[in-house]
Amino acid sequence: MLIYRMWTLSYFRASVLLLALAFAAPARAQDAAAIVKSAIDYWRDVSSYSVADMVIHRPDWQRSVTFRVWTRGEKQSLVRVVAPPKDAGNATLLLDNDMWSFTPKINRVIKIPSSMMNQSWMGSDFSNNDLSKADDLIEQYTHKLLATQTQDGHTVYVIESIPKEAAPVVWGREVVTVRDDYVLLEHAFYDQQGALVKKLTTQELKPMGGKIVAARQRMQKVDKPNEWTDVRTHEVKFGIDIPASMFTLANLRNPRE
Amino acid sequence: MARGPRLGSIADAIRAPLLVTLAWRNLWRHKRRTAVMLFALALGIWSMVVMAALIRGSMEQHVKKEILNLTGHVQIHAPGYRDDPAVDYRFTSPAALVQALTQKPLVAASARVRVPAVISSERESAGVTLVGIDPERERGLSFISTAVTTGQYLASPDDPGLLLGRKLAERLETALGRRVVLMSQDANNQIGDRGFRVVGIFDADPQAMETGYVFIGLDAARKMLKIGNDVSEIAVMARDRNRLDDEVQTLRAAAPDLDVAPWTDVQPLLVLTEKVNNVVLLIWFAVVFAAMAFGLINTLLMAVFERTREFGLFQALGMPPRFIIGQVLIESLMLLMLALVLGNLASWASVAGLRGGIDLSAFSEGLEMVGMSPVIYPALAAGDITAANVIVVVLGVLASLYPAWRASRYVPVEAITRT
Amino acid sequence: MEDVVLRLAWRNLWRHKRRTWLTASAIAFVTVLMVFLITLQLGSYNLMVDSSLRIFTGQLQVQREGYLDKPQIRTIIPDALTLAQRLRQNPALDGVGIVVRAQSFALAASGTRSFGVQVVGTEPEFEGRVSTIPGLIKAGRYLSTASAQEAVLGAALAKNLQIKVGDELTLLGSALDGSVAATIVPVVGIFESGMRDLDRVLVEMPLRTFQDVFGMGEGAHAIALLAPDIKQLPLLQREVDRQLPATSRLVALDWERLIPGLKQLIQADWTTAWFTYIALIVVVTFSILNTFIMSVLERTREFGIMLALGATPLRIGTLVFIETALLALIGLLIGLAIGILIAATLSKVGFTYPGLEELMGQYGLPGMIYPKLSATSILLGPAVILTFILIAALYPALRIRKLQPVEAIHAV
Repeated sequence: MLIYRMWTLSYFRASVLLLALAFAAPARAQDAAAIVKSAIDYWRDVSSYSVADMVIHRPDWQRSVTFRVWTRGEKQSLVRVVAPPKDAGNATLLLDNDMWSFTPKINRVIKIPSSMMNQSWMGSDFSNNDLSKADDLIEQYTHKLLATQTQDGHTVYVIESIPKEAAPVVWGREVVTVRDDYVLLEHAFYDQQGALVKKLTTQELKPMGGKIVAARQRMQKVDKPNEWTDVRTHEVKFGIDIPASMFTLANLRNPRE
Repeated sequence: MARGPRLGSIADAIRAPLLVTLAWRNLWRHKRRTAVMLFALALGIWSMVVMAALIRGSMEQHVKKEILNLTGHVQIHAPGYRDDPAVDYRFTSPAALVQALTQKPLVAASARVRVPAVISSERESAGVTLVGIDPERERGLSFISTAVTTGQYLASPDDPGLLLGRKLAERLETALGRRVVLMSQDANNQIGDRGFRVVGIFDADPQAMETGYVFIGLDAARKMLKIGNDVSEIAVMARDRNRLDDEVQTLRAAAPDLDVAPWTDVQPLLVLTEKVNNVVLLIWFAVVFAAMAFGLINTLLMAVFERTREFGLFQALGMPPRFIIGQVLIESLMLLMLALVLGNLASWASVAGLRGGIDLSAFSEGLEMVGMSPVIYPALAAGDITAANVIVVVLGVLASLYPAWRASRYVPVEAITRT
Repeated sequence: MEDVVLRLAWRNLWRHKRRTWLTASAIAFVTVLMVFLITLQLGSYNLMVDSSLRIFTGQLQVQREGYLDKPQIRTIIPDALTLAQRLRQNPALDGVGIVVRAQSFALAASGTRSFGVQVVGTEPEFEGRVSTIPGLIKAGRYLSTASAQEAVLGAALAKNLQIKVGDELTLLGSALDGSVAATIVPVVGIFESGMRDLDRVLVEMPLRTFQDVFGMGEGAHAIALLAPDIKQLPLLQREVDRQLPATSRLVALDWERLIPGLKQLIQADWTTAWFTYIALIVVVTFSILNTFIMSVLERTREFGIMLALGATPLRIGTLVFIETALLALIGLLIGLAIGILIAATLSKVGFTYPGLEELMGQYGLPGMIYPKLSATSILLGPAVILTFILIAALYPALRIRKLQPVEAIHAV
């Protein structure tokens, strides 16, 4: 689940809501904003550690990267690649809106400038920008419960989140589908004309770290059926004690772990 | 003056109108010949003036366009900004400068935030220059206030809207009324970003303006970049772009720590192009004149030869050679003046006819490489018309000296007996 | 018989020596001018094309299909060095500069500053035969060997990064397989091409080093070719096309495809220049039309007698036309001789005028123009002049047809 947070919440800020929902108290209200509010409040003091694979698929090639992710609160995350050997050691630190990259090959920390924020992160379907955005999400969207459905014996909430006027979000609206045990089933991104652009779907659920979490998720653009990025989570720990020093430039360069 | 002493200046004065009458009659002895020569001369003058109008027009357009494309007549920046237009190089207007900017000879002045940024839509993103403007003060100072063709112009410095170029809107696959996200480096070297709704789509020339610049309210930009009341530049418009020395001096005195640069410093290439154009134009005038001169001399020579007997008779009757020279010169002058009238009228008519511009948009991509517009609007400049006319009259009369001199040299008896 | 007409025409021509010479001079003048201007103009196009292509692009580039429109690091020429080697061994391409390049977008950083740049991996020993950049080093030196750990960069970029020769340049990008590509290389040289776009974004490093850093294996993105003379482009295109493996999806793109704006700029200039040329030629044509008309008018009586003696108007018209054509030819030949002399001289010493050098310098072009001498550049102008004059000559010749023998004989 936390890898979901890494990939979707941090990367696609709206998804934070979903995570929040996942940890929220049982949804009493049809008031989506209230669900989100309490969910985020709940989620904020959570820290996590996880290990996951990212599989990038293209028509003529495919590649897989394994990394570890530490998160603390909403604005601190550290991603460190462990495999393949070629990429091992590369790390990305996110603090507030800023993003730094460390490369062991050159033993340098480089701050990613705004002009590079739309570049792809490690060749995936995620951009640097997707990773770095972690503003206060409650204030950036208005949320609405669209529907409550029943599926496989679970209640499923469909919530529509519309970014506010000045929010730095390009989407027209995002629709998230969450099960009553707070597992995210789907997160769809629509353009401002209402057309679906890309969708994150949960393909496998597993109990990990004491909760049911999405063990396999796929991000795919609607107009490119042969291209996708999968995130497969192997291990998650929640609520562990991570020192603040984990999220520093010094640690980015000289990992203490 | 050989026979001069017998005929005093009073006699000359009496005979002058006679010469004019004679010259005028002679001119129309061969109507067709005169008409052909007249046409050739008029065409020459026409080509001089029209060519000048085209070059001036495209140059003037180019300069005006550059000045309106955010250059202004004078720009004020923090030192270093012109080399590296980043948010780091910003300034707060000193009180003295604010005072100086309100003074009379300046027509308009406006502060801007102008920094590199990235704009994103749902599907694409692009590197642009973000320009934060005060919409009211920007009027008359740059193209943007009149360039919005779809939607509307910004209403105030804190307008939440954004103006997007048509071509960029196409590239970003976005449109009027949709939201886009701007992202840039803020004052703390962090990423500042915000969503903006596209409230206006603007057209600009060259296309690089359309794809390279987006406009938002000045205060919205300041807030996004966290720069308080600072600005990147102040653009100033004066009365006359060719007389800016006083204004520049006043502004430099008012803001000694800032970089005050007239447009000629900001766009040295324009000044250079203007210089080269002047040389090209002058060469063109000389060449066309030379081409006309051959015909003029030839026609006059023919006119003189067939009147050999007449000139001999005049001389025999006591007309001094200078009168004969004068007669030929007056004839030539009349021809030239007539040609000037026709040529100038024709140029005026063609320039008026081309008011809609000459469309070279088939080559727009190439012209853009050198900053030229695909549509050229010819512009008549008094200086060029004067130059063309003076060159034609003065050199034309000079060229006529040869046939005139020949006419005056016929020995009377020989001339009369000649068939 | 034709011979008689020709001789008659020739003799008639010299009845009025001065007039004939003046008319011939006018034709010669405009001919000289046309030869001079057109050779100069074509020479300046050559210069423009040549100089722009020589800076970096080359005249022809082999690329993988689609790379031009969407330059992705994965769109590679798999075995570029082998292909380049084959091209170099082709005797038909002797003397042609051939260099293999790999290129990618990357982040360049130095201290706290970072900018997006275009990194080009190239073969240092061949780059100088295609591009002028190795010769435009303002500080330091150019790249040494294909696998040296070093880089050169544009002056404007160096300034923005606040980097000097000897400093380290950090590059961070994406490798072919999507992994992180990063390196730190010492800057050994800074170049100034005069092209702002290049000086602001270009970083060059040895090809092998680039391939290692960006995980390219033996792949590259372009083979750039430059023949000593752009006239060899068709040959270049043919030879290269022939050697591209049929199944490789490689294409050889000429400069018109690589830089479409350049071609358009030339077309625009050429089109507008002809507006002025035609105006000038028409002025001259009308200037001398009078001579033609006079030569007919003053011989009305003569022609009347000829008609009375049985000559047809067609024959007399032909005679007048041939006279004019002879006159035009005299002028054209004199003009051509002088024009070629001037153009040939200038093609050796070069031509410039005030401000030109400065202006061209802004576009990275030299300010000295060398007229282009070729059959087309020399004869095009005179051919157009001849056409105009002959059309003008038709007018007096056609007037002959209106002559009535009796009236004509009595004409003064």
